[in-house]
Amino acid sequence: MSDNKVKNEKKKRKIEEGLAIFVFLLPGLLLFVSILIAPIAVSVYRSMYDWNGFSEGTFIGFDNYIELFTNGSIKFMNSLKNSLILAFFSVFIQLPLALGLALILGRRESRKERAFLSIFFMPVLISTVVIGQLWLKIYNPDYGILNRFLDAVHLSSWKHVWVGDIKTALGSIIVPTVWQYVGYHMLLMYAGVKGVDIDLREAAMLDGATKWQVDRYVVIPIIKPILRVSVIFAVTGSLKTYDLVRILTEGGPFQSTEVPSTLLENMLFLRNRYGMGSTISVMLILLCFAFALLITAAFREKDV
Amino acid sequence: MESYTLKEENPVIKIIIDVFLVIWAIINLFPIYFMFTFSLKSNEEIFGENIIGLPKEWLWSNYTTALHTGNMGLYFFNSILVTTLAIAISIMAAMMACYAITRIKWRFSRLTNAFFMLGLTIPIQASIVPVYVVMSRAHWLNKYSTLIIPYSAFALSMAILICTGFMSEIPYALDEAARIDGCGLFRTFFTIILPLMKPAVSTVGIYSYLQCWNEFMFANVFISDSAHRTLPVGIKALSGQHTTDWGPIGAALVIATFPTLIVYLFLSRKIQASFIAGAVKG
Amino acid sequence: MKRRIASIVMAGIMTLSLFGCGSATPAATTDTGSATTETKTETTTTETKTETTETAAAATDEPITLNMWCIATESDSNRHAYEAAIAEMAEKYPNITLNWEAFENQSYKTKIKAAVSANEMPDIFFTWSCAFLGDFVDAGKVYCLDDVYPEFASELPENMLGNTTYDGKHYGVPTTMNIVGLFANMDLLGEVGYTEVPGTYEEFIACCDALKEKGIIPFGCAGKETWCVTEYLESVIEKSVGADALNDIFLGRDTWNNAEVGAAVDTFQELVNNGYFDPSGIGLTNDEVKNNFIAGKYAFYMNGTWNCADFASNEEFLPKVKVAEFPVINSDKAKLGQLIGGPSDTLAVAASSPNAEVAAKYAMELGKLICHYGYLDGCGLPAWTPYGDTSAVNPLTQTVAEICANADTFVLFGDTAMSADDANTYLSYVDQVYGCQVNGDQFIEGLAKEIR
Repeated sequence: MSDNKVKNEKKKRKIEEGLAIFVFLLPGLLLFVSILIAPIAVSVYRSMYDWNGFSEGTFIGFDNYIELFTNGSIKFMNSLKNSLILAFFSVFIQLPLALGLALILGRRESRKERAFLSIFFMPVLISTVVIGQLWLKIYNPDYGILNRFLDAVHLSSWKHVWVGDIKTALGSIIVPTVWQYVGYHMLLMYAGVKGVDIDLREAAMLDGATKWQVDRYVVIPIIKPILRVSVIFAVTGSLKTYDLVRILTEGGPFQSTEVPSTLLENMLFLRNRYGMGSTISVMLILLCFAFALLITAAFREKDV
Repeated sequence: MESYTLKEENPVIKIIIDVFLVIWAIINLFPIYFMFTFSLKSNEEIFGENIIGLPKEWLWSNYTTALHTGNMGLYFFNSILVTTLAIAISIMAAMMACYAITRIKWRFSRLTNAFFMLGLTIPIQASIVPVYVVMSRAHWLNKYSTLIIPYSAFALSMAILICTGFMSEIPYALDEAARIDGCGLFRTFFTIILPLMKPAVSTVGIYSYLQCWNEFMFANVFISDSAHRTLPVGIKALSGQHTTDWGPIGAALVIATFPTLIVYLFLSRKIQASFIAGAVKG
Repeated sequence: MKRRIASIVMAGIMTLSLFGCGSATPAATTDTGSATTETKTETTTTETKTETTETAAAATDEPITLNMWCIATESDSNRHAYEAAIAEMAEKYPNITLNWEAFENQSYKTKIKAAVSANEMPDIFFTWSCAFLGDFVDAGKVYCLDDVYPEFASELPENMLGNTTYDGKHYGVPTTMNIVGLFANMDLLGEVGYTEVPGTYEEFIACCDALKEKGIIPFGCAGKETWCVTEYLESVIEKSVGADALNDIFLGRDTWNNAEVGAAVDTFQELVNNGYFDPSGIGLTNDEVKNNFIAGKYAFYMNGTWNCADFASNEEFLPKVKVAEFPVINSDKAKLGQLIGGPSDTLAVAASSPNAEVAAKYAMELGKLICHYGYLDGCGLPAWTPYGDTSAVNPLTQTVAEICANADTFVLFGDTAMSADDANTYLSYVDQVYGCQVNGDQFIEGLAKEIR
């Protein structure tokens, strides 16, 4: 009898759980599937067509994918290379810098630290249009701050048409992008650092550890999940980077600084090759997801 | 406050760190100064004569232009409305989804989580036309909700990612206790979990805000009447085909940015406090 | 005075040779696909026709609301012309309410294409002529204006419609037209002893050399916006190989593989290699270059004649600037009066509009008025026959009107004439020419290979 009651109870519980899962997921899934997943499905479908966006399309199977990788004038591989270079700098320059700032500011809690934290986050809040215009003024070949500075320190030979020179154009996109989002990752990591139990720190210090050792052996391992999130954001963000490229170089000179998102937009809305644009977006989604999985796997491996 | 600091670090290192922090702070404050002076200059000063100095002639008229002919007041209101509601919807949906993913044990919870993470990978350009076609069939264009719904959908993935961290910090014993008291899952969520998630709201809010406030692509295509225009599109519309007066654009950018900077400064204490309450876990 | 200008422009219009993509495009170039889309166009238009004749017949005075999208934003030079024209229309047709919205130029391209995809176009929309509008026409999304055109034929010469005629049918209302002008800062030219813009190519080069000698940069050109490079390159090519040859290539009637074009590209590169161009230009936007020109950094600036209004409104700068035609390079093939440009700014009516017929008539009249006011403002030359007092038009635009009066042939801007995909390929090659990444031979070979 009581056994039955327990069973019933369990069954009831299961039903309630099932219902709860359904109800709780419903709003999120509705939004997510209709606005994000359905368009991906459309993109996959359209990527099989030679379609200009308004007329009748012709089904061409995987021809777009083949062309994407074989036709050098589309510059897809080059654009991918550019965003991977950006991802590299993002992960190995931007994130360590952000982590360093988060650790330093996370150690103490005073008015000064709070002020720094707020200031360091400000570039993230400022529109990319402003950041772009500012850096255009820095890079301007005639009156730009950078060239003027080089003149002042007698290094005129180092002067460049920064955004117009094939050698420096990509670099001049990477620097502002990496700089602008340091604060973004810093705030995320700071949240993690502050979440570390203060007792743990104190215990380590009592054992004679220095602050750096505490950070290295206590804090960093604990905030690893956040570091993983940061790395994922940095890599997928780099693959999808768009705004500053448009403002600073427009993909030039000679399409050398094109990134997947600018190519994608050109195909969709400038060149009227909606099918090819869809192909690029499908590739981009696949790549971002693959990288996200890879990063997750890499972090898991290190845990063992 | 520094009770756990037993060993003081080397004063030289301390000074070096402080100097670095100050320099970094100046670098990060510079864009604000630049934006402000930019907004008070004429094209001649912006291009060449005087790029980073204080304006020679303080053109407050740029602000009048931006506010009157540029109609920034209305666009600002629209942006606030759209962004706030989008953030509210995405936070609520994210919290609910998070609860189902992290606090109820079922077979596909991890898979569902991964599915939501797919949202981080989608380039916004690719979804414009499909979403637009659906919305036009549904006669759902040129309304505030035309933007609110897509924005909340795009903010969802990141919101879920951040919420998961906060929610897993809440001890599971609370759920157990609630269950023993005969509290159902729904009541547990609304009366116990949700109030404890308050700190998450500000964090998720700020990251969602970053996504919505400057969004241009959707706003440009989906909204065709200026009554529902948002700031990014309004600011863009200040430039002409062959001639652009940059001063009013600067002014409009200040109007778009400074209020949020001020709100952020006021909120930052709260936000930082929230971080201490619950950390982000991936 | 007003009569003089009017007659000059009229004469210019009359001498216009029949050009345009319509006669060449869909029929000649698209092969199988076009047959089906064509019939589609037919059915859509007839459908709308029957629908609208009913409404139009029912009551012409019934209040009607029309929507229009354009790119005449607040700071656009055409803004005033639009406002004045719309105000006049509102007075004339009190029963028609026009809701119009202006969008930024670059993002408008995305917006209108998405709208055509989703069938969400407004009744009347701004578009660029030739290939841009042609794709929409191909898809059957544009209302044919043949029924309303005859009413306006006396004011809008048939040859102004070349760029918006597809398969012999008219789909667009041109507003203003523009050509490429050679703007010169006469103060700087004066420093090397020139009081006029040099008329022959040899003189022109000598002038550039003299300028260079004096440390004055001859040309300013924004390398970051490739269309600015085409303003120079296309003029050089046209004045070397002749307008007809270039037109044939742009409109796909002839292959790019033309050694003379290659040689002309080399001529252009010589100008670059001789250091006539500002080396910083490759990293600048047009806004920056234009400001440099106004600030007196360059002696010449080749760009569209829409700049006339801007230069004319700058009281300090206007006395210094003159506009002229680019000199002939090879007089065996080319001659003066062969110009780059033509009517590109166009209004079109959506086939999906419930009031398409009313909209078509309205668009015609509105286009005429925008043209009229735009011309008075100096935003461009009129595609429609000018009327009224035009003596107040700024001197620069008047000079351009005179140049057009002596025009022989117009070649539309390459990136407007070509289909969207080809135009981008073309622009990327132009970009490489300016950066000296490819020479003339590689340019023609590459384009011949990649464009059909």
